[in-house]
Amino acid sequence: MSGPVYAVKNLVIDLYTPTVSVRAVDGVSFEVNSGETLAIVGESGSGKTVMTLGPLGLMPEGVTIDLNGSVTAAGQDLVTMSPKKLSKLRGGQFGVIFQDPMSALNPMLKIGPQLAEQARRFAGLSAKAARKEAVSLLARTGIPDPEDRYDRYPHELSGGMLQRAMIALALAARPRVLIADEPTTALDATVQAQILALLRQIQEEDGIAVVLITHDIGAVSVLADRVIVLYAGRIAEEGSAIDVLTAPVHPYTRGLLASVPDFRSDTATGTREIPGLPPDQTRLLPGCRFADRCAQAITSCRRKRPEVTRVGGAAVPHRAACPVVIAVEGVARHA
Amino acid sequence: MRRLFLRRAGLALLLMLAATALTFALVTAAPGNVAALIAERAAGAGADGQMIARIADELGLNDPLPVRYARWLGDALTGDFGISLRTGKPISEEFAERIPVTATLLAGGGILALFYSLSIGLWGAASNGRTTDQLLHGIALVGASTPNFFVAALLVIIFAVGLGWVPSFGLYGWTSWILPCITIALFPGSVLARVVRVNLQEVMARPIATTGFAKGMSRGEVLLREALPNIAIPYITTLGAQFTLMIIGAIVVERVFGLNGIGAFFIEAIRFRDFVGMQAVLTLFVVFFVSVNLLVDLVAMLIDPRLRRARRV
Repeated sequence: MSGPVYAVKNLVIDLYTPTVSVRAVDGVSFEVNSGETLAIVGESGSGKTVMTLGPLGLMPEGVTIDLNGSVTAAGQDLVTMSPKKLSKLRGGQFGVIFQDPMSALNPMLKIGPQLAEQARRFAGLSAKAARKEAVSLLARTGIPDPEDRYDRYPHELSGGMLQRAMIALALAARPRVLIADEPTTALDATVQAQILALLRQIQEEDGIAVVLITHDIGAVSVLADRVIVLYAGRIAEEGSAIDVLTAPVHPYTRGLLASVPDFRSDTATGTREIPGLPPDQTRLLPGCRFADRCAQAITSCRRKRPEVTRVGGAAVPHRAACPVVIAVEGVARHA
Repeated sequence: MRRLFLRRAGLALLLMLAATALTFALVTAAPGNVAALIAERAAGAGADGQMIARIADELGLNDPLPVRYARWLGDALTGDFGISLRTGKPISEEFAERIPVTATLLAGGGILALFYSLSIGLWGAASNGRTTDQLLHGIALVGASTPNFFVAALLVIIFAVGLGWVPSFGLYGWTSWILPCITIALFPGSVLARVVRVNLQEVMARPIATTGFAKGMSRGEVLLREALPNIAIPYITTLGAQFTLMIIGAIVVERVFGLNGIGAFFIEAIRFRDFVGMQAVLTLFVVFFVSVNLLVDLVAMLIDPRLRRARRV
C-alpha cells in the first residue's frame, strides 16, 4: 500500500461553543503513512486534538466545527462525506485511544463484548471468532487472565489495565490508523512507559500508522518517526523526530525542548520555561503567533504570517516557520 | 449485594413501623371523639355521657397510646384493620374491593408515563436542539405544570362530552380507564421526560459518547446503546418517586372520574371522620411508599455494575 492513509491539506477549523468561537486550526497540512508514527506536539489549546479528530467528526457534543480544506483517508474525501458513511469509515479505518480511559470507557458495558462487537462489525468475524479475537486482543495488549477480564466492567480494572483495554478496543476493528490522544497523560509514570512500549510493539507488529497527540517530549523521543510542532493552530516546525529534537530551528520548538527537565544534568538551572502565555485565540493578530513570547522577534514578525521553509538536506522534509532564525543563523535551506 | 439489600429491607421495616406509629398518634390526636361518634350512630339523639363512656371503655380508648398502637399493630399484621366507622363494613372487605381499582389506575398510569417519558425524552435528544427538541421540551414543561384536576376537566370536555368517545364517569368497560390513566400519567411522565432529556444531554457530552462515535456508531446508536444505560439510575430513582406520588394524584382522579378506589375511600373517610378508615389507608400508603422505594433500590443495584459488588477482582 502506497500513499498516505490519512492526509490533510490546508485545513482550517473554526470551532464554536455556545460562548466562544475560535479559529482552532489555521492552514495546517499533514499526512501519515502506513508503518510510521507521527507525533503532533503542542501545548493545551494549540489545536492538536481538533486538527486530528475534528475531521473525523469526533468533537464533544456542544462543540460545532466549521471545516475547510481537504481531508482524505482510504482514497475518500472526508469533508463531503455523509455522516453515516463517515461513522462507518471512522469505525473501520481509525482506532482512537483517549486520554483518560476511566471516563472514556462506558461504565455500564462489559469490556470484552465491546471488542467482540467491533471485530464482528468491521472485521467481519463470526460471533464465535469475534469472541476469540477479543480475548486474544486482551492478551496481546498485556492484560493478564484475558478470559476472566472479558466479562469485567471498567470499574473492576486499574487505570493502566483500562488503557490497555482501550487500546484493545481501538484495535478490534483492525484499523489502518491508530490515533492516540495523550494516551499516557492520566496514568502513573511507571505505567506510562509500559503503555508507550505497548504502542510501539503494536505499531511494529501491525505496520499500521500511528498518530500520537502529546505534549510529552519523552513520549515523542520513544515513539515518533516524524514530528509536527503546533503552536496556536499553526505548524511551527516539522520534520523527522531526530531533526526536530536535536536540531530545532523554530524558537518555540527550542523553548519547548529547553523546558523539559533533564535529570542527568548537574545544574539546577538546566530547565527554562517559555515566558508568557499562548495567545488568546479569539483575537489573533496577522503575524507570527509566537512573536509576543519570542526573544528573537523583529518588527516584521508581527506583520506577516511566517512562511514555512524547508531546511537542511534530510530525506524527511524538515520545515520551520521562522524566516528570522533561518536568516540570522544562516540555517541551510533545502537545496 | 445480598447483604446490602437485606440491610435496606430491614431499614424499610423500621421505617414502616415508625411511620405507622406516627400516623396512629396523629389520627388519634385529630379533633373528634370516636366513642361519641359511634354512640350517636347507634342511638341518635339519645346518646348520653354514660353510653359514650361505656363504648370508649369497651373499645379500649382509655388505654395509653402505646398500648392502643400495639393492639392495632397486632390486629393489622393479621389483616384486621377494624371496621369502618362510615360504612360499617370491615376495612379488609373495603380494601379487597377498592385496591384493584386503584392498582389498575396506577399501573395504567405508570406504564403510560414510562412510554411517554422515554419516547418524548429520546425523541428530543435525537433531534438535539432543533425545533422539534424545543417543541417537545415545551410540551413536557406544560405537562409538568398543569394541575391534574384541570387536565381531567379538559379531557372530559373534549373526549367524553364533546366527542363522546369514552365515558366521563364510573366504570363501564376498559375505555373508562383511558382518561383517568392519561390524567394521572401526564405530570409524572412530563417530569420524567425532562429527566431523560437533560441526563441524555449530559451523557452525550461525556467522553464515553465520543468513544461510541469513535467505535463507528451513528448518533442514534450512541444515544441508545452508550448513553441510555447511563441514565438508568437517575431515571429509575425519579420513576420511583413519581410513581409513589401518583397515589396522591389518584385521590383527585378517582373522585373526578367516579372510580371507587382507595383515594375516593380516603376522601370519604376524612369527611366522615372515619378514624379507623383513615388509619388503614395511611398504613396502606406507607407500605406502598416504602415498598416502591425498596424496589427502586433493588433495581438500581441490579442495573449498575458499580453497585453490584458480588464479584470483585
